[in-house]
Formats: sequence, structure tokens, C-alpha cells
Amino acid sequence: MDGHGDGQSRWCLSQVKGAVDDDVAEADIISAVEFNHSGELLATGDRGGRIVIFQQEQENKSLPQCRAEYNVYSTFQSHEPEFDYLKSLEIEEKINKIRWLPQKNAAHFLLSTNDKTIKLWKISERDKRPEGYNLKEEDGRYRHPSSLTTLRVPVFQPMDLMVEASPRRVYANAHTYHINSISVNSDNETYLSADDLRVNLWHLDYTDRSFNIVDIKPANMEELTEVITASEFHPLQCNTFVYGSSKGSVRLCDMRASALCDQHSKLFEEPEDPSTRSFFSEIISSISDVKFSHSGRYMMTRDYLTLKIWDLHMESHPVETYQVHGYLRSKLCSLYENDCIFDKFECCWRGDDSEVMTGSYNNFFRMFEREGQRDVTLEASWENGSPGCPLKSWRVSTGSRRKRNEIGVDCLDFSRKILYTSWHPQENIVALATVNNLYLFQEKLN
Amino acid sequence: MLGKGAKRKLDEDEEGLEGKALAAGAGAEGLSKVSYTLQRQTIFNMSLMKLYNHRAVTEPSLEKRVLINNMLRRIQDELKQEGNLRPLFFPPSPPPDDPVDESFREPQPAFSVLSMVAPPISQSPALSASSLTSPSSGLSNPAPLEACLTPASLLEEDNVSLCTSPSPLAPPAPTSRLSPSVARDSFSSALDEIEELCPSPLPTATSAPGATSPSPLQLCPPSLNSGALDSKDCSKPCSPKLEGLVPLAEERSAVPNTPETLPPNSLDMSTSPSASSSGFLTDLALDDILFADIDTSMYDFDPCTSSSGAAPSKLAPMVTADELLKTFSPYSGAAPAVSSNQPFKMDLTELDHIMEVLVGS
Repeated sequence: MDGHGDGQSRWCLSQVKGAVDDDVAEADIISAVEFNHSGELLATGDRGGRIVIFQQEQENKSLPQCRAEYNVYSTFQSHEPEFDYLKSLEIEEKINKIRWLPQKNAAHFLLSTNDKTIKLWKISERDKRPEGYNLKEEDGRYRHPSSLTTLRVPVFQPMDLMVEASPRRVYANAHTYHINSISVNSDNETYLSADDLRVNLWHLDYTDRSFNIVDIKPANMEELTEVITASEFHPLQCNTFVYGSSKGSVRLCDMRASALCDQHSKLFEEPEDPSTRSFFSEIISSISDVKFSHSGRYMMTRDYLTLKIWDLHMESHPVETYQVHGYLRSKLCSLYENDCIFDKFECCWRGDDSEVMTGSYNNFFRMFEREGQRDVTLEASWENGSPGCPLKSWRVSTGSRRKRNEIGVDCLDFSRKILYTSWHPQENIVALATVNNLYLFQEKLN
Repeated sequence: MLGKGAKRKLDEDEEGLEGKALAAGAGAEGLSKVSYTLQRQTIFNMSLMKLYNHRAVTEPSLEKRVLINNMLRRIQDELKQEGNLRPLFFPPSPPPDDPVDESFREPQPAFSVLSMVAPPISQSPALSASSLTSPSSGLSNPAPLEACLTPASLLEEDNVSLCTSPSPLAPPAPTSRLSPSVARDSFSSALDEIEELCPSPLPTATSAPGATSPSPLQLCPPSLNSGALDSKDCSKPCSPKLEGLVPLAEERSAVPNTPETLPPNSLDMSTSPSASSSGFLTDLALDDILFADIDTSMYDFDPCTSSSGAAPSKLAPMVTADELLKTFSPYSGAAPAVSSNQPFKMDLTELDHIMEVLVGS
């Protein structure tokens, strides 16, 4: 299955962010990674409710051979832990998703969400400040009126660059269950938020109301067998969105059809292969992520073992299926025991939709070329690669013999997993999060 | 024979369990069919642990609970299909749901399944094949068996009824049937083949007083007095914890499939300590969940124990269970695996308090 087999891949390690020791605080574990629409900014969220934004250095962009460096641009506390008094349970501050708004002016806006509350943050730069007030001293104290003898106009003087993040909107109290997705609409006015049973539509400007557009909560909760796991707006059609379920189906809905989109317009579901049936068939079919292609023609779904690419015009089966780590199929019982089977992997498209990528265990990540049907397994490890050096591709073998750059299935470290990935929208730079760190990989151009 | 089996590769075991058992009977061996049942049991126990063992500060994931619950339902339906219906013992129902309560509580059927699978669990160590079906005739001593699976607090509350023959109990709450009939076909055909594989009737007459003689095709629990012994065994320190389950499944698979090779007296729990203890290791699955690490001297006052009169036999050493666990799971180094094996620590006093609140006394 591995295409490149031996030898070098096109990718090389660019940067590693975060502490490199093994002792990682729970709060520092990264839980969201997202490039903005230009790729200049990269936002990460962690379990401690913080967001760190990295900015690509501008100076070297003119030199195509140079590696783009991302440096910390802004850090702020997005969400705080809360307590639900009714249920006597904590509400985690962990950032579940970050989504950038398209840039309209000098400031940048992003939506971040934890389990219950979505916030709109404005990130703006300040590099000038007014000086020369008439009524105030430089430190802000008011001058004595009798000392005012002249009149002058305050002028802006340059100052050290300061990046400020301020919460502009807080969208709260609209979700009974845990929010798993947010998605900004192409109209740049609305966005959706999805929890386990409902999808809500918001207008960015209004925090006191949201419209419920999907509700799959049964009348009797004991009959609940299916939940919503991921949801996204179509990138071009502002009336279209999809949501994936824990039973492996994806429903496409058209908001023009009715106010409540419980009736889907399309249902994307692949019939189960009876030869691979097992106790865990349902669990591994649960959709962990759904992403439209940039073109809007295709949609990618990630379940536990595979990546599937669907043509939106064909509901019966995907047009492409990629095995991410099929060697785990015989390990499902153990993975169920240690809960790894419930891990939610994300996936992402390359800017031109020609490649897709997703994470795996042992800090491996997989890239699939759609046209050439080639795929590669790479490892995110700061020990095994120096910046600029091309990565070696790996193979996972199920047999007992080991070649170079092969690792046995039983040697995989299931505590090291790559769940969150993001691909730069224009360049071939990928960002992914291991438990401890943020890795940036760049394609070698030669 | 805990700990004596040869270490087997996990992947072989898994492939045998999942791949072969699902090959719809075409050339699949009897061992894999039995392994299928064992694996199902293991998964069932694991699922129960996951659902009821969870004590998080934050709300557990609804998706995970739903998926685990679906798994339990599926297994429950399979067992029902196998004809495993027995009178069920229900714990006192939880307070009726507030209509505005939107929380997902695992529905009643989950409880009822505990009782349903009790017979297969207890019999399987002696006869791996016997876990398949249990005739409805096994009524004489189900109560003590089920008593092992109910929370201790309920034992305290309703001691008398537990030790007498149970009255026919209400049928399980209607569960939403899982739609796929396709699923049943492959499973039920596999089960049919398991039934066909059943060996000659077990030597149960000597060791099963009061038990009805099993039909050749239905493997009756070999010794229903094991039920009584199991109830005694409940009173033992149940610190094998949950690890005991998992290695046990493997340990049973390692036992030769032909039940005839086992000495008849292995069915008699009182004379074969290792067999009895291995049987009750799985019986106490739920017990482990609910009150591991509890001072088990409280169990000495269990009326079930006193009524049966026999002295509880010694439990096999726990060390072997841990060793088996290490051999079973190659992922033991990973943090998630370790955490799932931690016993659920709940004070008996806390259980008392909860019961008081529920009962309102």
C-alpha cells in the first residue's frame, strides 16, 4: 500500500513548536489547528482554553527556496472552565474548533469554541499611539486646567507592535450537548454550530438568537442510537451544508428546502462490506471529520480506518477510498479496550485539492495523492529529522520481518497520535499537532 | 489453570476471533466459533465497564456512550436470538426521567442484560462451548447467580427475595430493535453452526442437583450448583479487578475446545479452586466495577452466603491475572490502556448514601 516505500519523500521538517520534553501538562495539549484563508496566520487551541496564533515571516517570502518561518504572533485565553450547576459537571475549557473568517480589513477574526460556547475574536495590531494630548499627561493623568496654556493636535507616533485579541461576540447557551463543529458560511454573515444532536445557524452579529436547522433528538432519549459528529458549510453555496453521523452516513441539506433541515437532500452512505463485518463495524464507521474540497465538488470523510472522497453528485459510494491504517483492523478489540477506537482524526485537503492528508498513531501522518494513487507515511518527530532534511517514509508491517524504516504493528505507540492537521491554502506547508507539539512541514521545491 | 497457558500473539488471536468467526461458517473451525462467543462476552463486559465505570469530572462524550450502548444492545439481541431468555431480575428502577431532562441515560435493557448473560459467564470456564445457550430450564438457581451481578446495595436492601427462587420477572423494556437483518443472518448462521458443534451432553447429572438434564443440542449450564457457589464466591475479596476478565477470555480460548477432555469434577466448583475462581472472576465483573477495593468483610454477612452454608473457597492468586493481562495487551504501555484497567473505586458508604437517596429512606 505504501507507494514511496524506500527513500525520501518530498517533505521536510520545517519547525517544531512547544516543549520538547515528555512531561506535558494536560492544559498544553493541542486540540485545534487551523490556517487562515491566506495562510499567513496559523492558530492553535489547547486544552487549557488558550489560543496561540503564529504568523508567517514576510521577509523571506520572495525567496521561493527558503523555508517559511512561523513565529508567535498572539497568545490569549479564549475560554475559561465553567461549572454546570444543574448537572454538577465541569464544562471543559478545551478548544474544540477554530475557524477563521475571511479577512475584510486590517484586523483578523476567528471563531473559537469549547463544548458549550462560541466566541468571535478580533485580532488586531497596534503599532502607533497618539501622543500630545491637551488635557492629559502622557501617563493618562489629567492636567490641571490652570496649566493649560497652549493648544495642540495629538499626533500618532510609532510604537512597538502590539497584537491585541479582544472578544467581540460570545454566542452562549444555545447548545445542550457538546459542540463538535463550527463552520463559517460563504456569505460571511452566518455560521453553523453543531453538537451531538442539533445544528444551529447563527448570524455573526447577533448573539442572543440562533436558528435550529437540524434536530435529531428522539422524543425518548432511550431510543437514541445515532449522533451528529461533524458538520460543515459548502464553500461556495451558502444554502448547502453537510453533517456526518456516528453511523457512518453523511447528510447534505439545503436550507432553501425548509426551515428545519431534518429531511436531507442527499444521503451519502456506503453499504457495508459483509466480509469485514465485526463487532466494531459501527464504531469504526463513525465519521470523525468531514471536509469539502476547495472546489466544492468533492467532500472528504474520515472514519476510524479510512479516508473517503465523495463526489457530491453520487451518493451511493465514494469515488476514492484510502486505507489510513488498515493494519489496525485486527486490533480493534484492544483498541476498543483502551478507548483508542473512539479517537477522532481530522483530515484536510491540499489547496488545489490534488492531495489529502490525515493523521495516525505513533506520530505518523499519511498523505494521499489522488491522481497518481500514491501515498506516503511520514513521522512527526523532532529527533529523526533536522529542519530542511527530507523525511523518510515509513511502512508498517504485519509480518515478523523488518526492513529498514519498517515498524511492526505491535510496536506502534498508541499514546502518540496526530488528530489535528491543517494544510496551508496556497503553499505546500502542513501543520499538525502531536500530543506535545505543533509540527510544520514544508515541501521541498527542486 | 491461570497463568499456565502459552503466550499467544495477540494478532493471531484477534484474526481468529474476528476474521474466522465471521466467515459465515464456510470452513470455519469450531474453535473460532467458540472464540467468537468468548470475544463477544469480553466485548460485552468491556462495554459494561465503560458505561458504568465512568466517573468523570466532566460530562462523558455522548457519542461514545451511544456507540457503546449500541454495542450492548446488539449483543443483547444476539443473545436473545440464541434463545437465552431467562427470567430477569431488575434492580429498582431509577427515578422517572424528568420530561425536561435531556440527559442520555443508559436504558433499562442494559441492566437486564446483566442477568441474561450470567449463565454463560459462569459456565464458560469449565466448558468453553457451554456459553452458547442456556435453556430456560435453568431456573432453579438463577437468583444467587444474578445476585452476583447486582450492586451490593441492592443485595442489602432486598436480601430475602434474592435468595429465593425468583418469581417470573417483567419482560425487559422494549428496546429499539436494530434494523439490520443482514447482521443477524451472519451472526445467527454462525451461531447455528456453534450449536451443531455441541458435543455430547455434559456430565452434569452428578454435579448439578436439581438441574434439568440438558438436551444434546442445548448446552445446559453444567452445574447449576455452581450458581450457588458463585454466590458464595461473591463474598470473596474480588480484587482481581477487571484485568481478570480479559486474560480470562484468552485463557479460556487456550483451553482445548473439546469439553470432554475436562475432568468431570472440574464442573464442581467446590473441588476445583482454579476453575471456580476463574468462573467467578468473570461473574464478578460488575462487582468489580461497582465496588472494587472495598473491604469485603462486609460480604461475610451476605444472607446468600449464610444460607448456602458452605465455606467460600479460596480465590486463586491475583498475580496470575495481572500477568495474563500483560501478555494479553501489547498496548499496556499506553496510557489509555492503563487507565481503563484501573478499578472503579467507590466506597460502600457512598453506595449506601446513593441508595438512601434513591429509596428515600
